[in-house]
Amino acid sequence: MIQHRSHIYGVMGEFETPEKLIHAVQKLREAGYRRFDAYSPFPLEGLSQAMGLKRNLVPLITLIGGLTGGIGGFGFQYWVAAITYPMNIGGRPLNSWPAFIPVTFELTILGASLAAVFGMLALNRLPQPHHPVFNVPRFSHASADRFFICIEARDPKFHLLDTARFLQGLQAHHVSEVNDD
Amino acid sequence: MNGQQYHAPESVGRLQTGALGVGGIAMVLAIFGALRSPGAFYESYLVSFLLVLGLSLGSLGLVMLQHLTSGHWGVIIRRPLESATRTLPLIAIFFLPIALFGMKYLYAAWLDPQKLTEQPLSDFQHSYLTHGGYLTRAVTYFALWLALMFIFNRWSKQQDTNQNDRALRRRLQMLAGPGIILYVFAMSFAAIDWVMSLSPHWASTIYGFIFVGGQLISSMSFMIAVVVLLSRAEPFASIVQPRHLHDLGKLLLAFVMLWAYFDFSQLLIVWSGNQPEEISFYRTRLYGEWGVVAVIVVVFHFFVPFFLLLSQDLKRNAKILTRIAMWLILMRLVDLFWMTRPEFTSSAVPTWLDLVLPVALGGLWLGFFAFNLKQCPLLPLGDPDLAKAIEHHEH
Repeated sequence: MIQHRSHIYGVMGEFETPEKLIHAVQKLREAGYRRFDAYSPFPLEGLSQAMGLKRNLVPLITLIGGLTGGIGGFGFQYWVAAITYPMNIGGRPLNSWPAFIPVTFELTILGASLAAVFGMLALNRLPQPHHPVFNVPRFSHASADRFFICIEARDPKFHLLDTARFLQGLQAHHVSEVNDD
Repeated sequence: MNGQQYHAPESVGRLQTGALGVGGIAMVLAIFGALRSPGAFYESYLVSFLLVLGLSLGSLGLVMLQHLTSGHWGVIIRRPLESATRTLPLIAIFFLPIALFGMKYLYAAWLDPQKLTEQPLSDFQHSYLTHGGYLTRAVTYFALWLALMFIFNRWSKQQDTNQNDRALRRRLQMLAGPGIILYVFAMSFAAIDWVMSLSPHWASTIYGFIFVGGQLISSMSFMIAVVVLLSRAEPFASIVQPRHLHDLGKLLLAFVMLWAYFDFSQLLIVWSGNQPEEISFYRTRLYGEWGVVAVIVVVFHFFVPFFLLLSQDLKRNAKILTRIAMWLILMRLVDLFWMTRPEFTSSAVPTWLDLVLPVALGGLWLGFFAFNLKQCPLLPLGDPDLAKAIEHHEH
């Protein structure tokens, strides 16, 4: 097993309660591990804080999408109505900005929501048909009654035996190796 | 809840004394102004009256909204909201000077026989906009609002001692829906009577909603300031968390957008229709000095608060959120000034009464609010959502 180290994705520990999981996550961070993920059948209060998750870029992407939609929406109407195809409609000025606002507003929403959805998908790399953690048979319990931590091999502190022993020391029920394919 | 009583801190008592003192002095000054130039006095008085009316009625609307939707966001502001609704008797007293002495100055367009012969009204307006009709309707509006205020405060107080009374909670919820409709209808008619009739030849069907939207902004802004003030001392110091301010900030953003939507819809319809009798409202308000005020309202009442309130960090920051909230209350005053004053003058420069009267009415109102706040526990002890609303998630 150890000779195929290049095919190892990481080491997985199984925990019986949310408290043990959060405790283990805190200890892992204290020990200097950074590249790991935690899995739980339901959302856990305090898990993100324990993992030290930083704010992601989705809000910024959404803002940029909204601004692009809004400015683009207004600009397009202005371009059509005032520059390329100017028409006198009831004597109103060519730049009838109040009439442009509803479309500008709609396109702001459209741009912001598309950016939010696709930005989120791009950042979390979904859809992803397969993930190495599914190579561990017991991982199916992650959607039922068990809590898991998977420490990735690309973590600078990763060492197969030491990391596995460390997880065992944190009251992990089962510790298993996760293969990459 | 652990037998805790959640009494108002001492700062509320100091607020009451200070506000009443400052408000009283300003009121004395304003009364001198009223004796010297009653016309200018009532023009200013209307603006300040509408502002404090919005603080009370917006709170009534939010209390009912909270009972209807039973969101956790409203639990910690329910008692401050109820205290604000209980200032409605004072608002009714504030209305008396307009009803007794001010009408002939404000509503000359439909009360002065000479102006009526110059610009006659339609038959319907002639029968609707009368001295007696105005007063009768005003009594009806206040009766409706005071009745809602009375019932919701009474049942809420009963809930404190009957914590497991599910029927009471249902009754609160059942009345909240119709109550909101009554409040909005009465406010729509009141806005027509008290403000739109300043220029009786112009009409807009969304006018009342613009006022309701503004009142929700005023009330939510005021609530944010109150929560932050209370959080400086126990019991709120250990209760208020950033997530509470975050929720209130999100609603404030929603109300700013709602108000802008109503206000803009009116402009869009008038702009599209392009009828001579419809554009008079904007002819007086979008050009000259009033045009400058219009730009100030659009930029500082909408765009700046909108973009600031988009940020999660700013909404969770007590200091900055309070500043945005106080700023919005000031902007409400500017907006009401812009809605009413152009009917009287083309000069957008505020008079000294425009500065003194908001302090006078606002100070007395704030004093009464602080007094009300001391009468009940600061949290609705019988609310089934209380435990969830004040628990600490963030370790």
